[in-house]
Amino acid sequence: MKQEANNVREISQPEGKTSLGRFAFIVSCLAIALSALIFRIVDLQVLDNAFLQKQGDARTVRYEVLDAHRGMITDRNGEPLAVSTPVETLWVNPSVARDPTDSKKDEKKFQEWLNCECWNRVAGLLKMDAQSIRARLQSGANKEFVYLDRKVAPEVAQQVLALGVAGVHSRREYKRFYPAGEVATHLLGFVNIDENGQEGLELAYNDWLAGKAGKATVLKDRRGEVIKELGLVEDAQPGNPLQLSIDLRLQYLAYRELKSAVKAHKAKSASLVMLDVDTGEVLAMVNQPSYNPNNRKRLRVSSLRNRAMTDVFEPGSSMKPLTMAAALESGKFNPDSEIDTSPGYLRFGRSTIRDTHNYGVLRLEDIVAKSSNVGTSKIAIGLTGPVVWDMFYRMGLGQLTGLGFPGEGGGVLPQPYKWKNIQVATLSYGYGLNVTALQLAQSYLVLAADGVKRPLSLLKQENQPQGEQIISADVAHKVRLMLNKVVEKGGTGTRAQVASYRVGGKTGTVHAVGNSGYEESEYKALFAGMAPIDSPKVVMVVVVDAPQGDEYYGGEVAAPVFSRVMENTMRILNVTPDSVGNQGRIAAHGLSSGERG
Amino acid sequence: MTVASVSNSRMEMSEHASLHFDAWLLLSALGLMVVGLIMIGSASMDIADLKMGQPFYYVIRHGSFLILALVSGLVAYGLPIEWWHKRGWLLLSLALVGLVVVLLPGIGKTVNGSTRWIGFGSLNLQVSEFAKLFLVAYVAGYLARRQGEIADTWWGFAKPLLVIGIAAGLLMKEPDFGATVVIMTAVLGMLFLAGVSLVRFCAVIGVTGALGVLAVLSSDYRYERLTGYIDPWADQFGSGYQLTQALIAFGRGEWFGVGLGNSVQKLFYLPEAHTDFVFAIFAEEFGLLGSLVVISLFVIIVWRALWLGYRASIQGLNYSAYFAYGIGLLLAAQSLINLGVSCGLLPTKGLTLPLVSYGGSSLIVSCIAIGILTRLNAEVAMVENGGQQDISA
Repeated sequence: MKQEANNVREISQPEGKTSLGRFAFIVSCLAIALSALIFRIVDLQVLDNAFLQKQGDARTVRYEVLDAHRGMITDRNGEPLAVSTPVETLWVNPSVARDPTDSKKDEKKFQEWLNCECWNRVAGLLKMDAQSIRARLQSGANKEFVYLDRKVAPEVAQQVLALGVAGVHSRREYKRFYPAGEVATHLLGFVNIDENGQEGLELAYNDWLAGKAGKATVLKDRRGEVIKELGLVEDAQPGNPLQLSIDLRLQYLAYRELKSAVKAHKAKSASLVMLDVDTGEVLAMVNQPSYNPNNRKRLRVSSLRNRAMTDVFEPGSSMKPLTMAAALESGKFNPDSEIDTSPGYLRFGRSTIRDTHNYGVLRLEDIVAKSSNVGTSKIAIGLTGPVVWDMFYRMGLGQLTGLGFPGEGGGVLPQPYKWKNIQVATLSYGYGLNVTALQLAQSYLVLAADGVKRPLSLLKQENQPQGEQIISADVAHKVRLMLNKVVEKGGTGTRAQVASYRVGGKTGTVHAVGNSGYEESEYKALFAGMAPIDSPKVVMVVVVDAPQGDEYYGGEVAAPVFSRVMENTMRILNVTPDSVGNQGRIAAHGLSSGERG
Repeated sequence: MTVASVSNSRMEMSEHASLHFDAWLLLSALGLMVVGLIMIGSASMDIADLKMGQPFYYVIRHGSFLILALVSGLVAYGLPIEWWHKRGWLLLSLALVGLVVVLLPGIGKTVNGSTRWIGFGSLNLQVSEFAKLFLVAYVAGYLARRQGEIADTWWGFAKPLLVIGIAAGLLMKEPDFGATVVIMTAVLGMLFLAGVSLVRFCAVIGVTGALGVLAVLSSDYRYERLTGYIDPWADQFGSGYQLTQALIAFGRGEWFGVGLGNSVQKLFYLPEAHTDFVFAIFAEEFGLLGSLVVISLFVIIVWRALWLGYRASIQGLNYSAYFAYGIGLLLAAQSLINLGVSCGLLPTKGLTLPLVSYGGSSLIVSCIAIGILTRLNAEVAMVENGGQQDISA
């Protein structure tokens, strides 16, 4: 029936029917185009998608740095000296206000955002100037990261974030805090705003302390806003803790006494070093002037130096005990050997070496006690230059201590090709060479440790480090007895005496070196000593630079500091008193002119 | 089953001819519209939030257009095919006048360097979308009237081409190269199916192709788009930017996609993510599987349209046949070009994806086209079932 009907219509309108061939041709054309399309899409989505995904990731996946917690620095008893506390750093993505799809409206939108009243509230919370914030955002208009305020207290950061200003974000950072402030800052140094060590041990042990920053991947949209945290690539590795050899109690004590001495004598600067005899550990190391590492806004560069290790000076009379050690070791002298120091001076061509008085005939120990330049010189010339030099060198002078402290001075111990007598003489009482306070303390440490030289350490030592016998225990003991004579009545260092303990040490008063040689009226006052003298526990060196006023001798300026610090140190360290009966002697502070050193 | 029972059932169907829907066509179109609404929501929310401070701005607008478009489609379904047939000249005039008016300074709205819209308050009318449908309606009428002339004479063949040439010239003036290609494809396809001699047809194809090349070379903008498409990675931050971002979207999609709402490329990386390049975002979120589903829906619609045309031609309903062919070819060309552009097979053109992309004019015209196809189907089915041709009138 249908067939019939079709036939009828085809006859009536023969041109009407579409040619099946042409219809098929059109359909085929479309099918070919469709196949090409499908092939292409399959290729893009599943065959070649690795390349496209890589390209996509290159545009969208970013790494974010996760700050590592910096290791804590403590003193030998675990008291914190440097701690990192978590803080928030606020930053802004100015591109958030940009319209990347419409360059015309872009600037208008940005200005709208920039002029938002909300910035005034942000500025208020951060105690900043709103206009300066806007200026900063304007200059970073094409960036995706501009600091708003670094290291903000977490609760303030929370308040700022709660304002919900578009593009304001925060990230976790750490801020270094130094509980001991100016007391330990020369040793510790400090870090910069990125938590990298800039000075002191923070610099020397930066790699150890810093830890390893972690990495997280995030997905960002075209404006630089994080869409999604993709995950952790590696977690931040916290830094390692560092335990110093310092005893914070001794450090405080030393700092307080040194500071008051500097104030009393209107001195330019001062240093104090305290070493543990058994281990070579540094128990305290303080300097004046100091600074507060927690607020370095008004920092003066001259306050930065850890003078005890960086500044060198001529040690003067404090070298005499070392010359004596060389004399005793040679076998040519013993403590009772007598030297004629008359007439109180010694000429070498145009140069003259003087004592303050004509002491006449002196025994070796009196030479040290009275600090006779002439006596020391005569002994040294008898020993010859190389022997004295060799002793000084073995004691560590002229060499770095090996602590690796940034900016440490090595001092200079000259070794002439041919020794002249004047050179031997001046070297023997501490001129013509220079040392740091730490080197001086190290050389006394050898005397204190029965002739054993141990490596110094700023880190706490679990075991006694291996030492090297530099001089015999006997020689060391004999020199220590001479040092004790210095603080006994008639010596130059009586004001170094400590109640209940027998101590020993040597004064030194050297002319400061100025622009044109030695300054006539500027001195360095030194005292290097140890306690208790028979079995020393602690070695201490005090250096006061340019004390003003009537008192400027080592015995007047440095020795009292030694006395006060040592007395409290003995008590803090629970050292058994070895001289219970000598309370009375402490009052005998009177100094005759002859006792000056 | 007996012959009698078959004829009985046919008789029944003819009585309910107006209810004879093409379920394949309607469900596919509906499916695409749903996909479109969802994808515009997904692709535009962040852009809308940034631009308008309202994440649902484009979704709400598109939803409103969708309602308007469905009503338009329903109205189109209500109109007998004869209504279009009789108004061929009127539709041609409307199309040409519209294309002229949009070019008048002060009336046409320019976006991204192209003057394609006439603004009515917050609504913008894209003239070329309507012009495409109207021109096809006119050409279908011409072909139905001059069947013999077209097949046998140069003049009969050239006349409709001249008319279309004028429209194409106006479109190129906007410029709207994409719409020009779509309309030319549809009309040439219709002429081919109308039985134009192959020699003449090939000659015209050659001339049109040459004109196309000339059009590309005459404009830096078009040339740049063309070269940008051959190797988009060579200038990935310049002319190749949009395409590389679209390709990345495809690559991210893999088999099953990153999931609805999880596209990264829509976050300001891919410009026009909710309009011309919505398919790239769809491919990213739904993967190859989703892409193939959407392509299949288009294939179904185009096939149903073309098959409908063939069925009509068998029944001798020439106007209906050409109209169905024209609409089928319009939809085929526009969807193929849009998909081809978004995956880098074709140079970038500003063409929407019918029924899916954001844009009121495109959506309304597409729905009208679906409405017309549904009406055509009903009328053709009635004739096939032995009803009278003039019942539809």
